[in-house]
Amino acid sequence: MASYKILISGPVGSGKTTAVSTLSDIPVVKTDAKPTDGVAALKDSTTVAMDYGTIDLGDGNKVHLYGTPGQERFKFMWEILVQGSIGLILLINNNHPHPLRELELFLEAFARSIEQIPFSVGITHMDECPRPTIQQYSQLLAAKKHVVPLFSVDARSKEDMNLLVLAMLSMIAPEIALENFKGLTLNAHPHHLRYTKRQRH
Amino acid sequence: MKEDAMKTILSDLNGSSGDIEASAVVSLDGLMMASLLPADVEEDRVAAMSAALLSLGERTAKELARGTLNQVLIQGSEGYTIMTEAGSEAVLTVLAKKDAKLGLIFLDISRAAKALSNLLSGA
Ligand SMILES: Nc1nc2c(ncn2[C@@H]2O[C@H](COP(=O)(O)OP(=O)(O)OP(=O)(O)O)[C@@H](O)[C@H]2O)c(=O)[nH]1
Ligand SMILES: [Mg+2]
Repeated sequence: MASYKILISGPVGSGKTTAVSTLSDIPVVKTDAKPTDGVAALKDSTTVAMDYGTIDLGDGNKVHLYGTPGQERFKFMWEILVQGSIGLILLINNNHPHPLRELELFLEAFARSIEQIPFSVGITHMDECPRPTIQQYSQLLAAKKHVVPLFSVDARSKEDMNLLVLAMLSMIAPEIALENFKGLTLNAHPHHLRYTKRQRH
Repeated sequence: MKEDAMKTILSDLNGSSGDIEASAVVSLDGLMMASLLPADVEEDRVAAMSAALLSLGERTAKELARGTLNQVLIQGSEGYTIMTEAGSEAVLTVLAKKDAKLGLIFLDISRAAKALSNLLSGA
């Protein structure tokens, strides 16, 4: 029996809480508060401490899934929650004024962690706002020497979120048996698969 | 202005006991509304931490069937941090000395929390 901790982070409104709810097999522990700043115009709740859910992998194996707050004043929670995580998923809200800069900000904030643990990047809200494109994100990641899975996802879609989790786990060092993750079923369409590596040439 | 009225309540609170070193009112989403904190304290962090802890306290009390939350108390080797809900929109955060008499402080805090709650709900 094994348990793994995975963290979902990224800026406000990128869908972290939604993603934890989409993936979790248990009712999610949320710490939502009503926004009193600019976020109020976007949403009627924002995370102030963490989200928590689990994914049952069968055979007693489990993923403990945590979501961070997105606003920078809660940065101390990012540092606390990433401890002990075996992988990180960054969700970036494309329907924001400077999403590429936000990705950079989160890469910097988690710089120490992503030297040691794998991460994947999901761009949300591309249905609402197609720019910047996946290629632009891919170039940014490549410029920073990150070879990581990168997808356009919708945090409400279980299939999309499973893909993001699996792609991230597939980067994990062999000492963690990928066998344990067979409980996550995947129905990937080829067009989903956009690894930065492949786009470099 | 509400901020001035909040500050008056905070300064009454800080003055009510020599054991209280600082206090602040924070919105539930972690923004500073009014504060009487030492200059070396980072306001944004205090605000965000207060909101995070209060909401975790609330969730914990609920998950473990301890009812609705009144207070979160953190005891450190150098003193206490006490977070109390002030109405449905704000948290009152108080920093107290390590040898503080908690019983007395709790009374002063709940009085201040009530005053803040009335002020913020416009009562
Ligand atoms: N149109 C669209 N909506 C999405 C997509 N992904 C998520 N959403 C919606 O966007 C919103 C995201 O809100 P949350 O899940 O609260 O975002 P969060 O990242 O937890 O935000 P904070 O906790 O405030 O940092 C929800 O209303 C989702 O239903 C997407 O790809 N497209
Ligand atoms: Mg959230």
